[in-house]
Amino acid sequence: MKNAFQIILLLFVYTYSSNSRAENNLVADLSQDNVKISTDFLGAKILLFGAYDGIKGDDIIVVVSGPKGLVTVQKKEKVLGVWVNTKKINYINAPKYLHIASNKDINEILNYKTRKISEIGLNNLNVRMQPGEKISTKEEEEWRKALTRNMLKSKLWSLDENSVKLNKNALFRTYVALPSNVPTGIFNVKILHYRNNTLISKERSTINVSKSGMSAEIYNIAQNYSTLYGIFAVLLAVLIGWITNIIFRKI
Amino acid sequence: MYIYLPIAEQPIHSLAILGVGSLIGFIMGLVGVGGGFLLTPIMMFLGIPSPVAVASVANQLVAPSISGVLSHWKKGNVDFKMGTVLLLGGVLGSSIGVTLFNYLAKIGQLDLVIRASYVIFLSIIGSLMFVESMRLVLRKRKGKITRGKLHQHTWLHGLPFKTRFRKSKLYISILLPILIGLIVGILAAIMGIGGGFIIVPAMIYLLGMPTSLVVGTSLFQIIFVAANTTILQASQNQTVDIVLATLLLLGSVVGVQIGSKFTNVLKGEHLRLILSTIIILVSLQLLTDLITMPSDLFSVVIRK
Repeated sequence: MKNAFQIILLLFVYTYSSNSRAENNLVADLSQDNVKISTDFLGAKILLFGAYDGIKGDDIIVVVSGPKGLVTVQKKEKVLGVWVNTKKINYINAPKYLHIASNKDINEILNYKTRKISEIGLNNLNVRMQPGEKISTKEEEEWRKALTRNMLKSKLWSLDENSVKLNKNALFRTYVALPSNVPTGIFNVKILHYRNNTLISKERSTINVSKSGMSAEIYNIAQNYSTLYGIFAVLLAVLIGWITNIIFRKI
Repeated sequence: MYIYLPIAEQPIHSLAILGVGSLIGFIMGLVGVGGGFLLTPIMMFLGIPSPVAVASVANQLVAPSISGVLSHWKKGNVDFKMGTVLLLGGVLGSSIGVTLFNYLAKIGQLDLVIRASYVIFLSIIGSLMFVESMRLVLRKRKGKITRGKLHQHTWLHGLPFKTRFRKSKLYISILLPILIGLIVGILAAIMGIGGGFIIVPAMIYLLGMPTSLVVGTSLFQIIFVAANTTILQASQNQTVDIVLATLLLLGSVVGVQIGSKFTNVLKGEHLRLILSTIIILVSLQLLTDLITMPSDLFSVVIRK
């Protein structure tokens, strides 16, 4: 109900301000822009919604991109009867979280060139092999596919075509799912409004994912006071072991 | 009820962890070994990253070992002198082990080494124990109970620095238990175990200690090896998940107490027969995983 109310309010604001803002007439909001990873965190589902000035046939694409960094792809081979990781390729600038959503197949919304230039689609990302990796072009494709396949499997990457719901060429809504193994950091949210392969309007937002509460404190202590943390972990175990022995001795 | 693990960085069902902990504790209390070598593979199977599984299991081992030692001490089943000599080697060994662990993680072969070590050690020790205990069971069934020597004398007993271990009724070189402790310490750190499943047979077959003292004495030295491993893993690798370890140990301390109540009910050779069967099954399972072609030859590691 609260979300529905927000959409109506947005629409209201948008209708009265659209005349003065002809350039970028797309507004969007998130049900949650600050995700806290606390002891009971099981992942999050965020509603992304807003209004756009569209006509019939317009499309919306949403790209949520987490912090970027180094991702290693490993390949196993059979050595003396055992499957062993023998080769690895490092990829730089790989998003550790990526969610792409649209109201229909992206291939129908954008042509090949636009997809490449705008870096939209799992194969059009600006992910590069670390300089110095020696590999043939054919193999390169296999490794790059393996990266996508494994990131999709871990749910850290997702492609959800047909998941953006459009209403009366004016409203859109979609859900952004953050899995429980989501990395922390600032996530960039891009909402793109296309008409005939041309960008009409766009909007940006961010989601801040951070650790909080007891889980954040334990993590920080383990990182910053690691030896003390280890000693404490041992003492806690000693104490619990000793107490149980006293309890069971009396039974 | 799910709980988010701060170091493993993932949620896990707390009741499942408590249940696994108490089952492992029960086996540990019953036979004095088995805390780590079953727990670490189960944790990895549940999706906990292997460095976190190994370090957190070492942490949890401290509690049931303390609890178990106190029970065995009361019954007079701990040889503290032998335990101290063993743990000297063990503490040194686990320090070497954590350094080796670091190196293997760096070159990306840690997982393989952990699994391969399990297959090798579990299959050898499992088979040896199985054959030995089976022979004892069959001999007793035939009614031929012959009181032989306390233990076999080999060249190992001819090493220098001989010391008398009154409790164990042994007069052997201290180099032997120190060496055993050292090897077990290295393996303990890499495999996330207390080392009981190696040290118990070593104490029986290599040192020739009386079976009644073996469980309590091995638990005594495990406390120190596990504590040393935990502190080093925490300070060098930041891989000790205190939430995971606490959940596991809450289950295991209860299990170990119940298990130790049954030690006098079951006969030594029957215990060893059961344990050796479990060991062989675990090693076969791990071997199958290593030689079966994975569904995807590629895997991904996300760097911090």
